[in-house]
Amino acid sequence: MSTVISPPGGGTTVAIHEQPHVPQPKQVGKPGGFLRRTNFLTAVISGIVLAAIFYFVTVAIVNKVTGGGQQDDLSLPDGLQAEIAMMYIGWVIGFMAGIGAFAGPIRWFLGNDLTHADAEYMSGKDMGREKYWKYTTDHKVVGIQYFIVMMVLFGVGGLLAMLIRTELGITWAEVFNPNFYNSLIGTHGIVMIIAMIIAVTGPLGNFIMPLMVGARDMAFPRLNALSIWLLVAAIPPLISNLFMGGIRDGWTVYQPLADQSPVGMIGYQITIIVFAFSTGIASVNLITTIVAMRAKGMTWSRVPIFIYGILGSAIMGLIWFPMYQYSQILALSDRVLQTSFFTPASGGSVWLYENLFWLLGHPEVYVIVLPATAALLELMPVFLRKPLFSYKLAIAGIFGIVGLSAVVWVHHMYMTGWAPASNYPFMLSTELISIPFSFLVLVMLGTMWRGAPWTKLPMMAVYAVIWNKVIGGITGVYLSDTPVDQYMHGSMFVVAHFHFMLMGAGLFGAMAAIAYWFPKMINRYLDERIASIGFWTAFVGFQITFFAMFVAGLQGMPRRVLQFDSLFNVANWVSTIGAYIIGTGMLIFLYAIITSWRGGELAPGNPWGAHTLEAQTETPVPHENFPVLPVVTSDPYDYGVPDPYELADDDAIREAEGVAKVGA
Amino acid sequence: MSTEITEPLSPTTGEPVSTTSRRDRLGVWLIIASCTTGTVSLLIAYSYLWSLNVNNAWAPTEGSANWAADWPFWAIAGGMVIGTLLIWRGYGALKKGNVGAMKSMALISTLILLACFIGQIFQIATFPFGPQDGAYASATLWLALANCIWLSLAFFFTQALFNRARRGRLTPDNPSHAQFVAMFLTYLCVAALLSAVFTLVMKDSPNTNSPTFGTFQQ
Amino acid sequence: MSTVDERTPEADEPEVPTNRPPGMHLASDWLKRPYVRRILILTVVIAAVIIALTFVMVAFMNMSGGPASDIQAQIEQTMFVLTFASAPLMGFTLAILTYSWWGGWGKVTTETEPTEEGPAIRTNGVAVVTWITVCSLLAAFLVIWGLVALAQITAGSYGSTPVNQQPNATKAIDINVTGQQWLWSFEYPDNGRITSDVLVVPINVPLYFNVTSKDVVHSFWVVEAGVKIDANPGAITNTGFTPNKLGSFNVRCAELCGLHHAYMETKMQVVTQEQFNSWVREQGGVKTS
Repeated sequence: MSTVISPPGGGTTVAIHEQPHVPQPKQVGKPGGFLRRTNFLTAVISGIVLAAIFYFVTVAIVNKVTGGGQQDDLSLPDGLQAEIAMMYIGWVIGFMAGIGAFAGPIRWFLGNDLTHADAEYMSGKDMGREKYWKYTTDHKVVGIQYFIVMMVLFGVGGLLAMLIRTELGITWAEVFNPNFYNSLIGTHGIVMIIAMIIAVTGPLGNFIMPLMVGARDMAFPRLNALSIWLLVAAIPPLISNLFMGGIRDGWTVYQPLADQSPVGMIGYQITIIVFAFSTGIASVNLITTIVAMRAKGMTWSRVPIFIYGILGSAIMGLIWFPMYQYSQILALSDRVLQTSFFTPASGGSVWLYENLFWLLGHPEVYVIVLPATAALLELMPVFLRKPLFSYKLAIAGIFGIVGLSAVVWVHHMYMTGWAPASNYPFMLSTELISIPFSFLVLVMLGTMWRGAPWTKLPMMAVYAVIWNKVIGGITGVYLSDTPVDQYMHGSMFVVAHFHFMLMGAGLFGAMAAIAYWFPKMINRYLDERIASIGFWTAFVGFQITFFAMFVAGLQGMPRRVLQFDSLFNVANWVSTIGAYIIGTGMLIFLYAIITSWRGGELAPGNPWGAHTLEAQTETPVPHENFPVLPVVTSDPYDYGVPDPYELADDDAIREAEGVAKVGA
Repeated sequence: MSTEITEPLSPTTGEPVSTTSRRDRLGVWLIIASCTTGTVSLLIAYSYLWSLNVNNAWAPTEGSANWAADWPFWAIAGGMVIGTLLIWRGYGALKKGNVGAMKSMALISTLILLACFIGQIFQIATFPFGPQDGAYASATLWLALANCIWLSLAFFFTQALFNRARRGRLTPDNPSHAQFVAMFLTYLCVAALLSAVFTLVMKDSPNTNSPTFGTFQQ
Repeated sequence: MSTVDERTPEADEPEVPTNRPPGMHLASDWLKRPYVRRILILTVVIAAVIIALTFVMVAFMNMSGGPASDIQAQIEQTMFVLTFASAPLMGFTLAILTYSWWGGWGKVTTETEPTEEGPAIRTNGVAVVTWITVCSLLAAFLVIWGLVALAQITAGSYGSTPVNQQPNATKAIDINVTGQQWLWSFEYPDNGRITSDVLVVPINVPLYFNVTSKDVVHSFWVVEAGVKIDANPGAITNTGFTPNKLGSFNVRCAELCGLHHAYMETKMQVVTQEQFNSWVREQGGVKTS
């Protein structure tokens, strides 16, 4: 059992509040300084102000340089590119200035280092609800902030999904004009991708992970605040695109098609550029916390598997996100500066865009799936009261995926013709990545084997997720086979496959993880009955929607189309009905979250009987997490009683030793 | 509770500075790793477009008169290398107790990096092509622009080191921030040198018969 | 809390004491455990369902008249092979899932924490080795099958090659395909450069396509023939197949290309050689020499 033991002699990493005599730099003003006056409202106001200033200054400069011959119509691609780009840049800089993000670097530059009082203020100590609206460094606050942002993004993405399915279900008429429909699918895609990237790593990676490793906060608390507020800053440009012509080119916004979009595309590009910074910074924080701040005694063989999942996901995000970021920087440059990275008539290449994009695009799906999978691996032993099966194999699986994810990206480009000979090695690497995945499946099955599940929602959700993973997995095997992909690429089969993986395994897995850790984060139980009804309704709807979508793809329906051959009508009607069922289920689940948050049954510190460190804290978690930093003596999976089949092997020896041997 | 405090403690968390600086150093490595991918993206863009020569539009014009001059890339990279070496030297001296050396190295380095920054802007302004002049122009422009942004960051960091050394925040007991800046500057030098190498070596495209855009003829 | 796992049913026969390390059971002993038998039966049932579903899947693929080429036939055969090969493992996984969910090993439905714990199985060497071996063999089989199939259908057909490179197939008809927003146009350089917006081809003659785009990325997808290649602006890509069925089939754009992407489709008419020749004459072209 991972015990909380007072370290002898007080240890070397005792909290500051027990050591009041550390020499402090001079306190500049009241604790917190400039950040006393900043919050979300000041950020929004200064963002808008700076956006306006940048916009009008750029208009003036451009008019001077071009002699006023600019096209002013926002709906045309040539109108106001530079001005809109500068407006968004102004918004981001203004917003971050207004929330107080620059105070830290400026103070560091000048040598006015933070004092302990400053740090305490910034961590939101004794601040009440106000701290959620400010640049607060406490990882628990950041975790809740990510939770809220994630639900908002899912709400927006889900609404767009309902509109998309409405259009596809009404096969006898065009509900939306094609440009708006194309915008719907593009925005739905990118909003959901962003929401899924932060779904587990955001709320749980921030709130739970430091508790689970036995730390008082993350490695870089101020970077933690920076990453959430950069994400918040990135959202208005993304949503605003819907009012400025929309992203009409899918979430992948292939060039040169994206060049034809109106200025709303710039919103997308700025969002991704900023979001990449947010993710990179968050990854640095997560990795450093996990590597350098584990509790005494938590060796690498005692680290909970959830932590490994977060670590693997963060490593991939850190390394690969800049590729996506630069693809958007260069696309923005093509648009504003008229460079020709992606415009073939002047020497650019569409394949350059596709490669840069998919070099991130593929690891990104593992960034999404790994934390959710690792969360399930973490909760299964608790609800089955058995150890995690083959813990080392799970770690091997996670890092096998991290390593191989770097060399499979071309399977998104089998049909592009960029280098046909490359299809062979990439088909090989794509098949190979199924092997570390199979490790994780074995771990799940082995943990389940001969265990009696405690039928609470987090555990029952695991069954749903594994089912979805299996379907997603086999359809992935089809798609990874280049000849089969020749038929399937660009069809609704692909759409159904990735929804099974990202939504079926990713989102439903995230819902299970949220249900598991909700009592720890919110101090109340999530209403089991209502949440289960919502979850299973959504699950049933999910199967209907996406199995029908597989059928449409097999029949030959391309993706990203709003009107199609009547052959696909039935599949689309069924799929739309399923989508409305998903929507209903998700709303019920959201209702469960909201009512439980506001007035649910209070939960104890360890509602599920887990052995991990975060379950040993009080709930609500105290500001400094642990009164004394814990010392860990074993891994958290020491459940279980001796296996009678093993005992039967050699009873006499067992009795003589007085100890029961477990497993092999 | 430790009986003798032999090393400084962090004011905000109370941990020994050796612990926090080890952690910070890992963070700096991770940031450098991430920035490396970004630089690699630009180098991929440059080299891939060079190899493809789409629509025969890699080179700015028919002749070689419009390639960018090589010497500015190398001069700027050279300046950055010198500035970086000075910071390493200052860090070494600081660890041995010489704060004054740290201050002067930081100051000289700041001035050199400022000169590089101005030089970089001048190079961009005097390129013999504009951004619309084809793929080589675009890629070279962005290698230079990225370097420009890095140089402004580098100037900020070295100036910060000077300020902090002056105010006693950078001491022989707590020298790690100088090392972090030096590490980051080293990465920037590598990026600048690679840009210089790529622009020197990859000028004329090897692909001389790409199809004319929109048709099936060469 | 009980110290012995009382839920796991006892083996049907007493275990024979041996010197084997714990965890290494005779397969026959292991098979005697009731839950093992039930799971294996479930595996077979589920695998059979999966195999039956494959026929349904391929039937969906053929609803619009396919397969119209050997390539599509090979794709469908590959679907069968991939599914049949994966069915046992899928079946086993889903069988364990079902058995556990249904309560084969018991269920705890109390509001409070379970008081009993399961068997403390940390790992099982035999299971791990068997699983990894089976998965690796399966992956290897799928890869080799796929690579061989890929080589067979490639044979000079799709990919990106310079325009002046000759295709491997002899006496193939060259067709230049141009995608643009939002229509396909086909040019027959061998037949006097006639152009058409419907792809008319003779049956059983190899076709070799040069594909490009005039604006953005499109994707040339001859649905029932099972070929697809992106139409990239600034590059020429290639694909090819031999149609082996008469009839009217679908050519669709498989890459989002703007406003009317959904409408960027046309037909492929596979006709007899005589009908093709007369069509060519009608368009003002010359017969293939």
